[in-house]
Amino acid sequence: MQAKPPTHRIELDTAALAHFMPMHLLLDAEGRALSYGPTLARVLQDDAVPGARFEDLFEVRAPWGATTVQEVVARAGSRFRLLTRHGGTGLRGLGLKEAPDGNILLNLSFGIDLISSVRDFALTDADFAATDLAIELLYLAEANAAVTRELRGLNLRLEGARVAAEEEAMTDPLTGLRNRRAADLVLDRLCAARAGFGLLHMDLDYFKSVNDTLGHAAGDFVLANVGRILRDQLRSEDVAARVGGDEFVVLVVGRSDPKTLQTIADRIIARINQPMEFEGQACRISASIGIVRSSDHLNPEAGMLMAAADRALYAAKHAGRGRAVLLAARDAAEEAG
Amino acid sequence: MDALLLRSLQDYVIDTFSQDHWLRVCQSAGIAAETFEPMLRYEPGLADRIAGVAAGVLGRPVEAIWEDVGIYLVTNPDREGVRRLLRFGGMSYSEFLYSLVEMPGRARLAMPDLDLPEVTLEELAADRFRICCQSHLRGTQRVLAGVLTAMADDYGALCVIEPEAGGCTTISILDSRHASGRQFALATPER
Repeated sequence: MQAKPPTHRIELDTAALAHFMPMHLLLDAEGRALSYGPTLARVLQDDAVPGARFEDLFEVRAPWGATTVQEVVARAGSRFRLLTRHGGTGLRGLGLKEAPDGNILLNLSFGIDLISSVRDFALTDADFAATDLAIELLYLAEANAAVTRELRGLNLRLEGARVAAEEEAMTDPLTGLRNRRAADLVLDRLCAARAGFGLLHMDLDYFKSVNDTLGHAAGDFVLANVGRILRDQLRSEDVAARVGGDEFVVLVVGRSDPKTLQTIADRIIARINQPMEFEGQACRISASIGIVRSSDHLNPEAGMLMAAADRALYAAKHAGRGRAVLLAARDAAEEAG
Repeated sequence: MDALLLRSLQDYVIDTFSQDHWLRVCQSAGIAAETFEPMLRYEPGLADRIAGVAAGVLGRPVEAIWEDVGIYLVTNPDREGVRRLLRFGGMSYSEFLYSLVEMPGRARLAMPDLDLPEVTLEELAADRFRICCQSHLRGTQRVLAGVLTAMADDYGALCVIEPEAGGCTTISILDSRHASGRQFALATPER
């Protein structure tokens, strides 16, 4: 037969009890308070008086239906949950009924209310037993918040970098206009949405001679100027893109009237015709524009529209450059047939 | 660890000197990015290399720069979180010193892949300690010395802090209640 382990009894005075269990409550057999741990006394505030009745101090949350401390200790085995009547702080605890005199010892602790209790009662390290993990929990909550904040910052910075990279991938750096990739995307989207729009395909005239006689720097200057002109002449919802060396595409959103599109194109050409001065040298160029309208096509599709605009541009060049030609519905129909 | 030190160095240079100084450091170091992310990983040893470049740009010894970074981390009002996390270490400066041994473990609770160097503590005599930390970065010891200096002020303790060879630092507490120190409440201050 196995030997029964020896039982040791120890006696603790109130001071030692307070040191080991700063959240204890010692009650007599009738459920009247004999002593409070110092931290529990801070939580109960004015209620923490000798002789106070358990039911006046706490509302019992579990075990359900219990109100007196005797019921709590008897029914809960040893674990229970309470709510202080003063301030409504949630506490949980262990209970022990002492044999000969029938005193009842409760040891309480903050559950999930720890963080708010620390704030409400201005608790410090000294209010917790050295064995209590409360400080570690507070530390962890704060460290976690710091890590989360840092991650949120990182996410925002990465998102900013992504948007900037996307913008860069869609932009022609020399002119500040969109590039071919961006123009293709918008054109596909407009076609898919069956939106009414005008497509202008523009090619600079005499650009090569500027490049050849005045050099590439002058050429770049002219291109940047054309970019500025297009931005000035268009609304923010329109899209202007440089799609090749001296080749541009303009999408005029929501405009299908031939006269309006013709006017826009003529205005652009008039501005480009004005001499530009580069380092004291006049650069004279012009532009030819082919215009098509999405509404002239039964099922507008990017490749088909671009091909039609290309033909319109060819017609403009053929008619003597420096002009805009709109490929009308009739011509489009012929081309389809 | 490199990432944390790099970001700390970056913030320190920008806040204490200027954005321009930091750009010069990045250019001299020949790195493309001008921003280090504390949550990302960088090649081991990069923090020491960048600090060496910063020493040239700022005209100060690299040890002094790292110590200043440690002080900056604790005292900068925008970095209040660092000071608070360190103050959770204990009620007195010597308790705080003992808590440094637990720091890598505490840090892992919040971020499992954070590789803070292991710290050991010896009590050489009453109020005389030696703290050693083994890090692949030379800067770590000096950053720790800076943190120890700033935290002594925070606790109001008067100390002599002397970095030694081999990554160790001795701390002599002359007066643990020399000044009143800064307030610390367990509850997070309202923002």
